[in-house]
Amino acid sequence: MAYALIALGFVLALNAAGAVNFAHGDLVVLGGALAAFAGAWTGLPSFLLLPLVALGIGLAGILAARIAILPLAARPPEATFVATIALAAIIEQGLTVAMGGAPRSVPPLAGSGTLDLAGLAIGRQPLAIVVLGAGLVAAVWYLLERTQTGRRLRAVAADRAMARAVGIPVTRMVILSLGLAGALAGIAGVVLGHQFLVSPTQGAGHMLKAYIAVALGGWGSVPGALLGALGIGLFETFVAASFGDAWASAALYVAVLAVLALRPQGLFGEPVGRRA
Amino acid sequence: MSVLLEAAGVTLAAGEIVALLGSNGAGKTTFVETVLGFRPGPVRLFGEEAGDLAVEARVARGIGYVPQGRRVFAGLTVRENLEAACALPPAERTARVAEMLALFPMLGERPGARAWLLSGGQQQMLALARALVNRPRLLLLDEPTLGLAPVVVTDLLRRLSAMAGEGVGILLAEQRAALALGIAHRGVVLRRGQVVRAGRAAELAADPALADLMAGA
Amino acid sequence: MARLGPFWMILLGLAPLVALAVLPAFGQRMVTLVGVYALMGLGYQLVFGQLGGLNLAQGALFGLGAYAAALAAPSLGPAALLVSVLAAAVPAALVAAPLLRLQSHYFALATLALASLVNLAAVHAEPWTGGANGLAGFASALPRGPLLLAIVWFCLIAGVMTYARVFAGPAGEAARLLREAPLVAATLGIDGGLWRLVAFVAGGALAGLAGGFSAAVSGVVSPEATGFPIMVVCLTSVVLGGTRHPMGAVIGATLAVCLPELMRGLQGAWLLAYAVATLAVVLWAPAGLAGLVDRVLDRPVPAPAPVGLPETVPTLAGPQVLALDGVTKRFGGVEAVAGVSFEVARGEIVGLIGPNGSGKTTLLNVVCGLERADAGRIALDGRRIDALPAHRVARAGIARSFQAPMAPGDTKESDIARAVATGAPFVLLDEPAAGAGERERARLEAFVRRLRDAGRGVVVVDHDIELLSRLCDRLVCLDRGAVIASGTPDRVRADPRVRASFLGSPVEAS
Repeated sequence: MAYALIALGFVLALNAAGAVNFAHGDLVVLGGALAAFAGAWTGLPSFLLLPLVALGIGLAGILAARIAILPLAARPPEATFVATIALAAIIEQGLTVAMGGAPRSVPPLAGSGTLDLAGLAIGRQPLAIVVLGAGLVAAVWYLLERTQTGRRLRAVAADRAMARAVGIPVTRMVILSLGLAGALAGIAGVVLGHQFLVSPTQGAGHMLKAYIAVALGGWGSVPGALLGALGIGLFETFVAASFGDAWASAALYVAVLAVLALRPQGLFGEPVGRRA
Repeated sequence: MSVLLEAAGVTLAAGEIVALLGSNGAGKTTFVETVLGFRPGPVRLFGEEAGDLAVEARVARGIGYVPQGRRVFAGLTVRENLEAACALPPAERTARVAEMLALFPMLGERPGARAWLLSGGQQQMLALARALVNRPRLLLLDEPTLGLAPVVVTDLLRRLSAMAGEGVGILLAEQRAALALGIAHRGVVLRRGQVVRAGRAAELAADPALADLMAGA
Repeated sequence: MARLGPFWMILLGLAPLVALAVLPAFGQRMVTLVGVYALMGLGYQLVFGQLGGLNLAQGALFGLGAYAAALAAPSLGPAALLVSVLAAAVPAALVAAPLLRLQSHYFALATLALASLVNLAAVHAEPWTGGANGLAGFASALPRGPLLLAIVWFCLIAGVMTYARVFAGPAGEAARLLREAPLVAATLGIDGGLWRLVAFVAGGALAGLAGGFSAAVSGVVSPEATGFPIMVVCLTSVVLGGTRHPMGAVIGATLAVCLPELMRGLQGAWLLAYAVATLAVVLWAPAGLAGLVDRVLDRPVPAPAPVGLPETVPTLAGPQVLALDGVTKRFGGVEAVAGVSFEVARGEIVGLIGPNGSGKTTLLNVVCGLERADAGRIALDGRRIDALPAHRVARAGIARSFQAPMAPGDTKESDIARAVATGAPFVLLDEPAAGAGERERARLEAFVRRLRDAGRGVVVVDHDIELLSRLCDRLVCLDRGAVIASGTPDRVRADPRVRASFLGSPVEAS
């Protein structure tokens, strides 16, 4: 579920900025760290910290794009590639310095313990995660599919110049997308930070999963990214249950490589024009 | 008659159809892009200097644009294409979009279809409807008849004439001179970015040298 | 890309000498490490710097080399270093074919996935790799100390000098075109696939060698050698130093090794400073620190001056006739080119005219191999070329210029000059006169006549019918993908079907 949020944010940022943000995974960790600090300082449960984190990391996402992506729009792709990797390293190192050595814990969303539902004992945290995740995905879906803003965001992603030519304020839309992407990343960090603790080096791993989800689901497709994330989550749980985490990861990477080897355009992409 | 557009020696007044002619590479698209603001250059729109305004700002003053190649928003449905472009508040927006769908029966039949599934002619109609949704005073079309079936072309030209009759100023950039001059009031021939002939449409159409001009001579 | 100037060469030579003569063991070790990372960086510059490939596997190849050295040293001694090279180069060669077909973001993902697999294997395959603790105790079988420093720097200096020499020549220009305008590169006969393969394997070999050396220096190999942080250091150091500059890897490596020492007190902050510096370089000094130093030293930065149309146009021997027969190309349901047939002989100029959308540029694309025809034949002296990739078509004898400048720094004239310089017997010119003033048109006309006199066959697409009428022996008129008239300029211009086509009236294809 958290993967879905990360992938969703990643694909929104991708469509808005037109470039891969390698620092996206680190925005997730940043969210977790913010929640950990705020939680320790105020003693509030994560649920109440969510708006703070969403706002904070949303702004961070916009800032990141303004520094490392938007100014380099006219340059070849290697430039944003390097810039966002450097930014990811900056965030990671910054967090290492700020957090000291030990991983931090994020307070749970809704307290620990279990709920009794129709005879089944369900953990409150997992339940809260599912509810939160599903709620956010539904909210984003609603935004994109049923509101004017969402239609305009999709129009900008489809044809930026033409969107300008019908009067859509493109810069505003891009900033909105990036802020939303950051907010989703931050919230995902809060969710993951309770179960897995927050540690500065996790960023690369999160980014890789989101990257895989988007590549498998069809580059730039929002439903595709969600399906991809879901697929990865299920695949990993499945394989890990029988063979352990390491094999789960390995199997995932092999699967990705196999897909790319057989279909260089991704699962849902159009056949790429002949490479000269 | 209010002058809607003045740029690079070309003027256009309300209710006029001006055919912008010239071979490919003569500068028609460049001209249209300059009027819109995608390229820098002095332009007077609706009586005011507009050279410093951004594209979105110029369009908001009352321009509709039908680009070469139609460029509908591929992943959005027909209805969503119109809604996204519409600047009206929600209640009026719904009504306006319904109006457009009624005006274009081809679109009204399948408002929920994704734009990339439409045929060339249907996409052209969608691009036109999208350009009209905000009731523009000035309409810019860049080679709208390219690749269209004759029946669709006839329909398109008929609609443009009707719009001019209602006071919209129309700049029709076309390579197919005979078609454009058939509905235009005036014509302007470009060659390498410069105006080399201008005059009433009937005169131009009757000129034997026109074919040469269109071929780039 | 300039040859390596005296300043850099002296620096390169002095560094190891001074280290050996003056520095204590600790300092020598650092200098050796600089050499190691510089070698890895140099290899990285081949794929990333020269060809613009978003490669994230260099760290993993480095790790493979390190592990190979550790495993082979007890039995092979110093020869284990050769095993290091192979341990990286062979896997690189094996995955190269499917990998290098991928477009940029998929390529990055695939290399990342591969690197992650290698890392996982290093951590978990305990029987071979020693698991998380790694391998140790092999260092005595490998060169150490001053000897190792000398060997490492010998390899590095050889590598840097070779790199500088190779890319100062035509290879540098070819790499630039592959990076910035791959279509142009293909039509000049440059085989992009082969280039990428060689760069990837050679880059990998250097990474493997560096890995082997690093094992020798530290005496211990652990999974960290294959981790993402090493990849990030490699990437950032190359960018910081100068992505394509021959000294870029060395400068980046020097900073990467020395900065942690200088900033010892500030726990881990050196990497933060490093990353910030890299970001700053990307934004404001893309040529890297080496580039900045070059500017300070006032060395002329060689910007390829746009070339004009040459006076002499020697032609290579080759086929005499280019023949098209029933060539058809469809996009979706639309026939962009519909059964086009005509011939061009050497010493002829054929003009291709027609309104917008008539298929002229598509036809050129099909002839030169950038698109594949759906039906019909294209042959040079009877030998079919319609199934060949663009770079093979170019080598068979067809050159082509493009409508708009394709790479930064190009002009229409330089693009044409470059195409003509291949010596190909047949030249396709796509709207060479578009946007040109009177004088340029006159130059162009004279130039195309020179081409004809030199024995080339020329096909010119353009909209200036006056120009084409003066210049061409024959005109071919297309309308909606089909040939509607063909013959001498006067005849074609007078043809009523042609006149109607230009006025936009519907035309029956002949």
